[in-house]
Amino acid sequence: MRRLRFLIAVMVTLAALGWAGTAPAAEGPTPARPFRIYMALWRGWEDAAQGFKDYFTNQNIPVELIIRDAAQDKAKLREFVAEAKSLNVDLVFTWGTTVSEEMLGRYDDPDTESHITTIPAVFAIVSQPLGGVVPSLTSSGRNITGTTYLVPMETQVNLIQSYRPVRRMGIVYNPLERNSQVAIQELMVVGHASGFELVTQPVEVVDGKPVAASIPAKVAQLKVAKVDFLYIPPDTFLNINRDTLTGAALAQAIPTFAAAENPVVTSKAMFGGVYRYYTVGQLTAYKAEQILVHKVNPSDIPIDAPRRLSILINMPVVRQLGLYPPMNLLRLAEVIDPAEGRPQ
Amino acid sequence: MTLDHTRPLFVRLLLLAFLVLVPPVALLAYEALGEFSQGLVPEMDKKAETVGHDLAASVERAVGYGIPLNHLQGMDQFFGPVRAANPEIRYLAVTDRDGHILFLDGIGREVLEAHFAVADFDEGGGRSHKSSIGDFFDLALPLAGKAGSAGHIHVGIDKNYVRGLVNDIIIDLGVVTLVSLLVAVEILLFVVTFNVTGPMRVVAAVIDRVRRGDFSRVCGVTSDDEVGRFVHGFNAAIRLVDELFRRLSAYIDEVKSVHFDPGVVERVTDIESRVRFLFRFARDGQPAIVNEHQATDIRLPLFLFVFAEEISRSFMPMYIRDLYAPIPGLSPEMVTALPIAVFMLFIAVVSPSAALTSARLGSRRVFLMGLVPATVGFFMSALAHNVYDFIVWRSATAIGYALVTMACQGYIAQVSKQGSRAQGLGVYVGAVLTASVCGTGIGGVLAERVGYRATFSIAAVLAIVAGLLIYRLMDARQPEAETHAPRKRQFIGLLRNWRFSALILFAAIPSKMALTGFFFFLVPLTMMAQPRADLGDVARLMMLYPISVVLLSPLASRLADHTGWKAGLVAVGGLIGGAGLVLPVISGETEMIMAGIVLLGISHGLSASPQLAMIPDVCWTECRNIGQTNVLAFLRLAERVGSVVGPLLAAAFIPLYGYTGAIVALGVVVLGMSMVFALLSFAYGSGPHIEAELEE
Repeated sequence: MRRLRFLIAVMVTLAALGWAGTAPAAEGPTPARPFRIYMALWRGWEDAAQGFKDYFTNQNIPVELIIRDAAQDKAKLREFVAEAKSLNVDLVFTWGTTVSEEMLGRYDDPDTESHITTIPAVFAIVSQPLGGVVPSLTSSGRNITGTTYLVPMETQVNLIQSYRPVRRMGIVYNPLERNSQVAIQELMVVGHASGFELVTQPVEVVDGKPVAASIPAKVAQLKVAKVDFLYIPPDTFLNINRDTLTGAALAQAIPTFAAAENPVVTSKAMFGGVYRYYTVGQLTAYKAEQILVHKVNPSDIPIDAPRRLSILINMPVVRQLGLYPPMNLLRLAEVIDPAEGRPQ
Repeated sequence: MTLDHTRPLFVRLLLLAFLVLVPPVALLAYEALGEFSQGLVPEMDKKAETVGHDLAASVERAVGYGIPLNHLQGMDQFFGPVRAANPEIRYLAVTDRDGHILFLDGIGREVLEAHFAVADFDEGGGRSHKSSIGDFFDLALPLAGKAGSAGHIHVGIDKNYVRGLVNDIIIDLGVVTLVSLLVAVEILLFVVTFNVTGPMRVVAAVIDRVRRGDFSRVCGVTSDDEVGRFVHGFNAAIRLVDELFRRLSAYIDEVKSVHFDPGVVERVTDIESRVRFLFRFARDGQPAIVNEHQATDIRLPLFLFVFAEEISRSFMPMYIRDLYAPIPGLSPEMVTALPIAVFMLFIAVVSPSAALTSARLGSRRVFLMGLVPATVGFFMSALAHNVYDFIVWRSATAIGYALVTMACQGYIAQVSKQGSRAQGLGVYVGAVLTASVCGTGIGGVLAERVGYRATFSIAAVLAIVAGLLIYRLMDARQPEAETHAPRKRQFIGLLRNWRFSALILFAAIPSKMALTGFFFFLVPLTMMAQPRADLGDVARLMMLYPISVVLLSPLASRLADHTGWKAGLVAVGGLIGGAGLVLPVISGETEMIMAGIVLLGISHGLSASPQLAMIPDVCWTECRNIGQTNVLAFLRLAERVGSVVGPLLAAAFIPLYGYTGAIVALGVVVLGMSMVFALLSFAYGSGPHIEAELEE
């Protein structure tokens, strides 16, 4: 009930935010030419990009989007920087940690030659912006701002505990990826406070590359260690191999929680607590609007996450495991149930 | 404590106000409540239906996702908040197709099982079905599953809820009516005494002189109404007689000076001396003006002022807790108790000098002087930031309170010099207790509706009204008072009288400790700590104290006069009060605290007047040496040690024993001290004690 009230409060706040955003836009003079936004993507057009684009459509802000996809090729990013500079666009949108760090530069190394510095930029889907592209979440200290998309670890753990109490949490991770290491550190701290033990299993690394085939064995070892839950961090390698990971967990009858939406929505993780990419994209567009329409200095716009948390429950997996969610959680959740033909 | 001479008038006015106020209110309330409870039942059904549908939708959604009905998770947490938000809903349940209870929250299974086993919930044809089970109405809503009905969700409505609700409203109405009744009577009493009986007393006094042939006084009444015109005519008659006398004496003088016949002159002189012997006239031809001051003059302002202070009685500790800010070295409970203790401390410290100031500057000026810090204190208390500045504002109010009450006591003491002092005191105590009943009761009702801060501003407004009354209506000319401040050494001498010290230490101090520690501090906190208690309940409960004092005081004073067993009454009173505080050891229920409050009222009603009446006996010599008033003032000052210690001691007990435990612990202390006094009281004997005189 309290959570429900909180959600209503959040929605009202968002509505007010939306209204506050619309009103000046409607009254303000329509620019003669549309704003030109350079969108640099990493894995093609997906929900965050769609949310970003839809915001402008909904707010009636004319924009011209120049869309470039790096297709996970780091080498292309240099060309993007040069192109954005030569087109002299009004704003640059960067998707993901790699694109953002390569194109905008880390906060302690904003090399003007190889990075975008004079054109304002917004970033989205950066797992750890703090200490990466920005020194602080209240201000980037330079010509950029953006959004975070990861739910705070404490909130995630509370969510897991509200599903069922956890005494031992398992995690399979890629030792080469920083996101996973950060997640483990945070889980240790929160686990210490809320009284669960963390069991970690790094995937095998051969020739400097993580081996996907080693995942099922690692999951089996977690089963032996009697973990109550498997935690899936926001890790690119695990995201790619999510079917292997969640499939193994399901085979071992371990319930899984994912910190990103893909393992739940398009694979077999049992549930997750995420900010939807679409919402993140909209919030990023809201910040772009502040810069373009309201002429707010990007360094004055704090970097934050959407207020509304999405609880995702993968119903086929739930049914298979027979671990039903508590009613209060179910009431707030978005249920993914392709069998019923009504994903929400 | 004999009530004053206005008591018959008070009773008659009370009866009048009662007849005018209560029947219409009762009639209106009866009609309105009938409608209200009639209308409430379908409203409750509608609400239960809404709640049921809401819950059913969630359950159906879960079932739709393939969760078996008997495997629903977290149903207690699911039902709990719904029941907490809807007090009329006593239970929530889910039954399967066969009426077996799968989930139940609120009551025991055995109440419903038998009924559910045989009931056919589907006779409503897929709609809700209402049935009566014992004290409940059961509303069953069907749960749609994949293949027809999966089961039912049940919403249990408490049949007694409406009655409870109506009772609450009746009690609230009763409190408000009682308070309006008392306020109306206070105002009526003021109007009648100020405009009618007061002037009549003056007229009576003047007529009495006239009856004895004294035409040297007229009445000092200046009002413009019937009474004023009557008095004016009466004065005119006296002035006419005076004028006729002057003309007569002028004629006599003329005859004396010019008449040639000494016999006639002698006769005339004889007549003149005869007239001068039988009648008395003002020497300068200006009859002196008689103004009679009465204790009742000050009753309404005093009532309003005490009303203002009492208005915060029921919620003071809660308000302090809202303003909580850490004070280094003090526990949170101690911080909550501190403003109350500081308030008492300031009253104790300021009162003696306030009494002296009142005697020097006159009651009217000191009353007005006191209202300034008091009003500022009330008003700023409403705006307080945290406990730090709140203590400052409460101290200001305390200074004002001390000045105002001392001014009133001084005034009453001065005007009732000719009459009985006890009667004057009766006016004072009567006003304070009535104000206490009204303020406490209405304060709770107000705070519940408009909040603590707004209620404090109302207190400020009341204080201002009291000031306006004093300013506009009270005569600037005051009866003079004698002042002789005794030296400190004499007070120390008082303490050497063991009977007096024992009375202070083991009777007066524990009695005050119980009042401030238990009643002012622990009662509101303990009551509010209980589930479903609201401020109105606390206030109503707290009204019991002044009510039981009012009802018992006259009885106790009569008892003390008749039996002469004063020390015994004080001892019994103390024991009753202490025992009342220990009562919650049986159970922490409201009833026990209620009993404690009533017993405390009985205790104070029993012992307060014998305590005062004992003084002339116990301190016979001292009263002769330094005056009874001063001895009494010293008692008042000394017992305030208990007022300051009370809340602090109670706060120290809370972390150790919890709220109820703290009441009991305080009760043990009070009871222990009272027992010591009870034992000592046997040694008091009766009658005056003159042994102290031998030491001098």
